[in-house]
Amino acid sequence: MSVVVRPSGRLSPTGRVMVPALGVLVLLVVVLLAGIGTGIIPAIVIWIGGVLLANIAIVRFVVAATAVLLFTIPTAFVIIFMELKVIAFMNLRIGPNRVGPWGTLASVVHGLKVLSKEDFTPTGADVSVFTLAPVVTFVASVMAFMVLPFGPGLFGADLNVGMLYFFAVGGLGVVGLLMAGWSSFNKYSLLGGLRSAAQMVSYEIPLTLSVVGVIMLAGTMSLNGIVQAQSGSFLDWFVVRQPLAFLVFFIAATAEANRTPFDLTEADSEIVAGFATEYSGMRFGFFFFAEYVNVFLLSGLAVVLFFGGWTAPVPWPWPVHILVAPGELGLGLLAIVILAPLVGSTLLALPLWMLRSSWPFWRAWILGLVLFTLLAIGAIGIYLLINLDALLGIVWFFAKSYVFVFTFVWMRATLPRIRIDQLMGLAWKWLLPASLVNLFLTALAILVVHP
Amino acid sequence: MSFVPGLGIVKGMTLTLRRFFQPKVTVQYPEQVAPIPPRHRGRLQLLYDEWGALKCETCFQCAMACPIECIDMGGTDTKDRFHVHWGPPEQYAERREELALRRSGRPVPDPAFASFSPLDTSDLDRLLEAEEYDPARMLPILEQTQALYGYIPVAAIKHIANATGAWYAEVYGTASFYGQLHLEPPTRHTIGICRCPACSLFGGGAIRTALEQALGVPLGGTTLDGFVSLEPDDCHGENGGAPWVTLDGARQPGITAAGAAQLARSLAGPAPAGRA
Amino acid sequence: MTTQIPSLDDPRVLVQTPATIYDAIPPYAPRTEREAEFYTLRDGEMLVNMGPQHPSTHGVLRLVLKIEGERVSDLDPVLGYLHRGIEKLGENADYHHAICYTDPLEYISSLFNELAPVMAFEQLLDLRVPRRAEYIRVLSCELLRIASHALFMGWMALDLGGLTPILYGFIERDEIVEMLAALTGQRMLFNYMRIGGVNGDLNHEFLSRLGDWMSRALREIEANTTLLNENEIFVKRTRGLGVIDRRMALGLGLTGPNVRASGIPYDVRRAHPYGVYPELEFDIPTRDEGDSYARYMLRVDEIKQSIRIIDQVLHRMPDGPVMAKVPRRITPRPGRAWAAIESPRGQYGCYAISDGTDQPYRFRIHDPSFVNLQAVVPLMPGNLLADTMAVMASLDPVMGGIDK
Repeated sequence: MSVVVRPSGRLSPTGRVMVPALGVLVLLVVVLLAGIGTGIIPAIVIWIGGVLLANIAIVRFVVAATAVLLFTIPTAFVIIFMELKVIAFMNLRIGPNRVGPWGTLASVVHGLKVLSKEDFTPTGADVSVFTLAPVVTFVASVMAFMVLPFGPGLFGADLNVGMLYFFAVGGLGVVGLLMAGWSSFNKYSLLGGLRSAAQMVSYEIPLTLSVVGVIMLAGTMSLNGIVQAQSGSFLDWFVVRQPLAFLVFFIAATAEANRTPFDLTEADSEIVAGFATEYSGMRFGFFFFAEYVNVFLLSGLAVVLFFGGWTAPVPWPWPVHILVAPGELGLGLLAIVILAPLVGSTLLALPLWMLRSSWPFWRAWILGLVLFTLLAIGAIGIYLLINLDALLGIVWFFAKSYVFVFTFVWMRATLPRIRIDQLMGLAWKWLLPASLVNLFLTALAILVVHP
Repeated sequence: MSFVPGLGIVKGMTLTLRRFFQPKVTVQYPEQVAPIPPRHRGRLQLLYDEWGALKCETCFQCAMACPIECIDMGGTDTKDRFHVHWGPPEQYAERREELALRRSGRPVPDPAFASFSPLDTSDLDRLLEAEEYDPARMLPILEQTQALYGYIPVAAIKHIANATGAWYAEVYGTASFYGQLHLEPPTRHTIGICRCPACSLFGGGAIRTALEQALGVPLGGTTLDGFVSLEPDDCHGENGGAPWVTLDGARQPGITAAGAAQLARSLAGPAPAGRA
Repeated sequence: MTTQIPSLDDPRVLVQTPATIYDAIPPYAPRTEREAEFYTLRDGEMLVNMGPQHPSTHGVLRLVLKIEGERVSDLDPVLGYLHRGIEKLGENADYHHAICYTDPLEYISSLFNELAPVMAFEQLLDLRVPRRAEYIRVLSCELLRIASHALFMGWMALDLGGLTPILYGFIERDEIVEMLAALTGQRMLFNYMRIGGVNGDLNHEFLSRLGDWMSRALREIEANTTLLNENEIFVKRTRGLGVIDRRMALGLGLTGPNVRASGIPYDVRRAHPYGVYPELEFDIPTRDEGDSYARYMLRVDEIKQSIRIIDQVLHRMPDGPVMAKVPRRITPRPGRAWAAIESPRGQYGCYAISDGTDQPYRFRIHDPSFVNLQAVVPLMPGNLLADTMAVMASLDPVMGGIDK
């Protein structure tokens, strides 16, 4: 049989993707060339640019919202991976180690698996509410992200009622859980939904009250302002002045994020999976995205409120000022960009070449180039860290946040679950009085120190 | 509970953190295989004696002792020694081909191992009742079964085993022991060919080769569809100057190699599905 | 109720599936007064099925809970999802075969399931078991008791929401099961006890693994218990929960750790000694509280006692054969025998009647889990939904033994 035309079914898997992609690419290039040649595309670009510049506030909001939305995906993946791996290590297991290096892609594969599963709606469910519930939960946690300051000048919006907004929007998530529990037409879901309502509503109160002390000390409700009020060394962090508030906040935040030992809403040994029992596919995925985003969100909030946000624990005692501004070098910059890799690689390659007599020079030189690239990346990174506060701030913020995330995971690995009446008792009998006492003492201290 | 609230929790958290850094106990299965203890009994294994011959005598005692009837034996008589195969069907030389055929949807040559065709057991039941379901009268039962169906189907063996309470292995062993009992359906036509020197001199060898090629089976075999079998025959020195070839016992005088091949092809049934 | 209730097998009976989740289950007419009372829902009550497929029921137990909000007001355990008819299978096999059927009864502690029938059959045969075999039986059984209790600790935590202790429990169990595999050949269904002794003598691999493990067993287990013993959440959730007092324990006929946690020092190893237990020194730990926490702590204590027993057994192990002379085909004289042993869950008994043939005429297993499970019904009402699992786990039932 002579094969004249190779049908697409006989292409390799890569080929099946690449052949249509090549066609599309060729088409795009042709259209672009034609557009530029006739002057249509430049005109469109200029017009769009003008419109965007005229509405810079809206553009800023849209960009921030998109960035936050996109940011949640890797965050959730990283936390899911951490949860898999850390709990496994604490259980003396190895955990995921098959997909990607050290299993790092396991959570991505989980995400793909969730995407490819059947989206199932049980008979008798209230379809519209059932469909909307995960969206509400997810949107609530993503919206709360908007006010979280990641670094100096890096935030979605600097609201002067940031904290209020945060708790208001964050508290919206429980509506989604309640909707899910009610609409699933399942007794376990109903119990889970009602548990989540009771739990979240109870813990909102100590959570919010514990933060009031911080607001009084900082004098502002803007999260950005609270971080700035803690700048200095780690002695200026509010955790030093408000340890009780931090304790209450941390416990309440654990309950708010539905984490062990307060994961009653999805207590698998009691009510199967709680509100999520009937969910599958990406709807279930949304719930879990929301849960892990919430974990990061509350860790980030704890860092912002009590651990100085993006500020370093100890200010660098020997400030380094690199006075070389790349723009001022002019043509010299060009020369450096061209010459530095050549000279650097050669210099790095020479000792290698001399040590390894069996190697040809080009081989040593390639290794030298790799070394030089690594060195250059390191040097540029250090330069940026020193010169860009935002970058350093982000590094500190994430480092601190992930310590909290680790703590949440660590607690999940260790602790058994609390019972619903003990949960309510803890909220109303211990945390609420404790936060009120803290509030009273803070007010008293402020009155005494700054009358 | 300790006096300091939360101390128990802290102790537990310390333990898990310590475990976090300890070496892990997971066995990475496909790469690391846990050792199987020497006393492990999960593998069926045939033992060889000191001369390298199998100790198994196909006595079926193990098959009878096995409570879940997981042991079964098949055998081929190779060079005067009853050679026994054991294990899953993939490991039987004579079953490997059969398994491949079954997977590819082609007809399976050996009906003893073909998937059970539905069997009308009403006559068999009547027969069994007449014999009072007595496993001691197995031979009469099997002979009458063969009279019923022309041969002894596997489904019938199963049915007899269920009805009489005898082990399947016992019934199978009885059925396969006696020469007059057949586990395969009788063929429709038998081509006989004599192999004596006189017949060979007159061109019997060429005819035999042609027949074997046309039928696709060696002498003594049966075609895949069970329509034709090629059997050795004997001319008793009366071939009369021509090779002795019979069809269902009737002499085919004056046959040539091409004629024999044509005869064989005309007898064969429709080509099985999947064969080009 | 005097109305005749038709059988469910009757084709005229229409079995309807419930139309809504609020409909009563089961859909057939109640067959007993208790069923009629239980499946009648008052205002604000609903029925919740826990099991047979639920993340935390042990095996395939189905608990139908009647709940008011989170509070359990009544419950109905439904058994039989794992019934395999092992007793009847045993009656249709000869004496040697019957033993291997008993292995998967209480699959967590299989050796005990073999030991009781073997002892009963030995009584039928008037056999004397060699002393070395008796010591090996004690050794392997006590090892398995530790494995079973270690696993119990993990389950208890898992049912309360702790993820980690179950894996630590499994690590301990795996070590023991591996060494028993070196001794017996298998990891779970050992099939090691034989009428008149045991299947094989101790071997080097078993002893070296055992020595390895013994040197750190106590330390490891005590470290693992710190996860739960003093954990405030665990203690709060289990202390004072599901209290069985002495009267109730005796009335229900509980055995094993559950009865000892109520302050009654009943242990078959001391009360009706068998094997070489009279020669060994060990205590019967008891607790007076009778709550879930006491039942948990009692098992921790028992692990320590078992380690003590193993230590003595290793020092006193006599030399000699491990099998008495037993014919291949056993035909005991007609008679009956009863043998009871102390399994990790309580008194495990076997009752066998011989009619002189090579098959037991009657082969009956008395399983402690079945008796202990009865305590669930009086304990549960009034507790919260979450406590159902804590109480269930502390009673440590194994459905393989209950449903037989």
